[in-house]
Amino acid sequence: MNGGDFAIERIRERLLAPANLDDAAIGRALGELAGGGADIADLYFEATSVRSWRLEGGKVTNGSFAMRQGVGARAAHGGSVSFAHSADVREQPLRDTVRAVRTLAHHGDTVRHPQGVELNRRASEHSLYLPAETVAVEDAAAWIALLERIDQTAHAADPRIARVDANVRAFDTSILVANADGEIAADIRPITILSMMVVAEQGGKRARGQAGIGKRAGLAAFDRASVDTMVGAAVRMALHNLDAVPAPVGEMPVVLGPGYPGVLFHEAVGHGLEGDHHRKRLSAFEGKVGQRIAAPGVTVIDDGGLPDLLGSLGVDDEGAAPDRTVLVDDGVLTGLMQDRLNAGLMNQRSTGNGRRQSYADLPMPRMTNTFLANGTHDLADIIASVDRGIYATEFDGGQVDIVTGRFNFTTIEAWLVEKGKLIAPVQGATLIGVGHEALQHISMVGNDLGFDTGMATCGKQGQTVNVSVGQPSLRIDRMTVGGQAS
Amino acid sequence: MSELLTHSEQELRDAAGLAVELAGRRGVGARASASNNGFAKIEVQAGEVETAERSGSQSLSITVFRGGQRGSASAATFDRAAIERVVEEAILIAGQVQPDTDAGLAPTEWLARAGPQPEMFAEGRRDPETLMAAAFAIDHAADAIAGASNGSLRVGQSAAVGSEEIWALATSDGFCRSSRTSNDGRWCVMLAQDDGGSTSDYWQSQERRPEDLLLAEIIAQRAADRVGSALGARSIKSNRTPVLFDARTAATLAGELAGALTGMAQYRKMSFLADPMGRAVCAPHVNLSEDPFEPLGLASGGFDSEGIAGSARSVVRNGVAEGLFLSAFTARKLGMAPTGNANGYYNLRLTSEADGGGWQAMLRRLGTGLVVTALHGGSTDPASGNWTRAVNGLWVENGAVVHAVTDVTLAGSMPAMLKGIVAIGSDVERQSAIRTGPILIDEMQIGGSA
Repeated sequence: MNGGDFAIERIRERLLAPANLDDAAIGRALGELAGGGADIADLYFEATSVRSWRLEGGKVTNGSFAMRQGVGARAAHGGSVSFAHSADVREQPLRDTVRAVRTLAHHGDTVRHPQGVELNRRASEHSLYLPAETVAVEDAAAWIALLERIDQTAHAADPRIARVDANVRAFDTSILVANADGEIAADIRPITILSMMVVAEQGGKRARGQAGIGKRAGLAAFDRASVDTMVGAAVRMALHNLDAVPAPVGEMPVVLGPGYPGVLFHEAVGHGLEGDHHRKRLSAFEGKVGQRIAAPGVTVIDDGGLPDLLGSLGVDDEGAAPDRTVLVDDGVLTGLMQDRLNAGLMNQRSTGNGRRQSYADLPMPRMTNTFLANGTHDLADIIASVDRGIYATEFDGGQVDIVTGRFNFTTIEAWLVEKGKLIAPVQGATLIGVGHEALQHISMVGNDLGFDTGMATCGKQGQTVNVSVGQPSLRIDRMTVGGQAS
Repeated sequence: MSELLTHSEQELRDAAGLAVELAGRRGVGARASASNNGFAKIEVQAGEVETAERSGSQSLSITVFRGGQRGSASAATFDRAAIERVVEEAILIAGQVQPDTDAGLAPTEWLARAGPQPEMFAEGRRDPETLMAAAFAIDHAADAIAGASNGSLRVGQSAAVGSEEIWALATSDGFCRSSRTSNDGRWCVMLAQDDGGSTSDYWQSQERRPEDLLLAEIIAQRAADRVGSALGARSIKSNRTPVLFDARTAATLAGELAGALTGMAQYRKMSFLADPMGRAVCAPHVNLSEDPFEPLGLASGGFDSEGIAGSARSVVRNGVAEGLFLSAFTARKLGMAPTGNANGYYNLRLTSEADGGGWQAMLRRLGTGLVVTALHGGSTDPASGNWTRAVNGLWVENGAVVHAVTDVTLAGSMPAMLKGIVAIGSDVERQSAIRTGPILIDEMQIGGSA
């Protein structure tokens, strides 16, 4: 059980009660914040603890624990947003923060709700992810043993592994959002991210491999089998890159494996369908909604309601339940992802995509779990269909220019394919395309839909949030590959 | 006291000092820092305020040491109960980890207990009203330029930001100092459109004193010039050609060179320049120098987060690495002396003894090849030096710009690129810590679809 009254009670105990802040005080602050005719007025409370353990040189020699909390106050008049925040959530600093917002907004002194807002519309409960203890210092010995075993397993796997770095970062976050419409919602968001990097050395050459696991849970979720799989993936990537030859250059067919390569759709389609870019007439997709941008069979979905994935949200950071938004429906560009502000200004409704990095940042439309739906082909057949091209299974992130629609992503594990066979590992290469053109060239979609391992993050206007990306394997007939080999 | 800050330097020194004292009572050595930041930002679009933001943050953090064992903890408040909790958490962590004999406080003889602090703060108006006027001035200037462009240009966002920060550091060796910095920024985003679609670019001015910022008209004009020159962009064919990085993108290369020379990259074997001291890492005419004490420099500082001062020095001379960027910890790992770079590098300047000249001279030197004006995504593999990016730029033939370029990739190997530097131009720009002119590289691989 998470969300609903249960989560409200938890953050009350953790943050609000120690600051002597009750519903009536929050309601009074909201009444003042909504003054001057604000269209949106909300308060976002957050308490986060972060614990980390770091392994290097075979030993865990470093650990840290950080605590932060605060409240962000926002008022919007039309498209004009005023925002201030404070690390002190007691009533007087909260009122000072609200007053700072009112001063920024220049909208007079009228108080909308002189008696305060009555918080009587409570969000419902959810079970997408459950509250879990993630940052207990009592788990230290177990985490340290687990990290040491990662080092031993990686070194034992191959004598060419010269260095192993690994760390775990665990987050225990509680949030509560209340607005001038009397809505109140809370959520408990545990996240633990275990990641590792290895360096392989041979004959003066060095290569890196990396892997990780992110879970919405604590230590108990990191079983031996999944950790061993992660170690194997990092070692395999480093040895692969040790033998890598320069990647080819120019236009050619590209086969992408399942899972994280779905970052393609996050970049090529997702960002261009965020409501704020459309309202400001910045997106290359403006005016293209309703048009065919891909072959039939290509369906892309953003769904914040998938259990346990890191992009999922019991409620978004404006208190809305997450939607399942079809972005590309059988090849046709369809829905936008919206937060309250942009939905309101565009006469649409929020799709539960209002997200923020922390209480100190403003919410905006952000993706959750974005993926390509399954097709019918087998991966082996897809690879066998390529005369000369590359097959990429892991990427080092991606980017898109919203205005031009041009996106790129960079391989970190890829092969040269000739006559349907994997010929040789190739060095990292940047792949580029234009969102509304590249997807036209998808000719085969696999039947092996998978998601990333919980390591995906998304950056937008300086704010980073956890997301998930996924896809089945697929073939793109024509894409520019930026290798070093001529 | 400043309008943006909520604390004084004395309060921060007291908070950091209290944390160290409480740790000392528990029998552990410690290094503690306290910071307070205040900032205001106004973003304007289409003649209206888009966001008006005002905020403050504070942080207290401590690292404790007990015979090679260490633990770190932080909180966002300065009250005594919170500081006690932070000390307790750090000690708990130190009790769990294994010792690392290289971990510990900086050698006491290295501490900059009294040395000079460069000028890093300037009084100035950073209130929301002042910033709003500044952002609207840029918006108006940009609007006038767009209005005269026959519809090819459109104004994006104009923004003004001001921030102030104070920071204090205390250690068990009795070191206790603080510093104050200010930052002012203005930027303008412009869009251009033609039959090929839309594109955007920006110009930014960043200083420590508002009076030093570029005029609104200049910021808007430079943003317009940059985006205007990108109109009509198209791909080119895959080819190996010389490449000229403009000053903005050249700063990224200089930053990657510096990053490869940090102690962290070196001892973790995550540097494409392995064992670089005394070896040629760049073309023999290239120099990289560091100056922590530049008045109002964007990366100036009197001491680092361990209390050690940096020095004005040569890092690369005649292409040969003479220094690394080291903290006390990474210096011990590498058997070297610390350089005061626990928070990274200070102001850097990349120069060449080869004759570069102004922009037109650099285009002539390029001859026929690619000018890079923007880098997108991609990566530099720190282990192998493999370098790959999506780029925008200009195609140049016989020293003259032929057309704008998009939809191309660029690839190379970072060690080879640094040794392949032909010249560095005299039109120097500053991007945060780094000053460099345009960099001409002998040959790289372009990937295109023309």
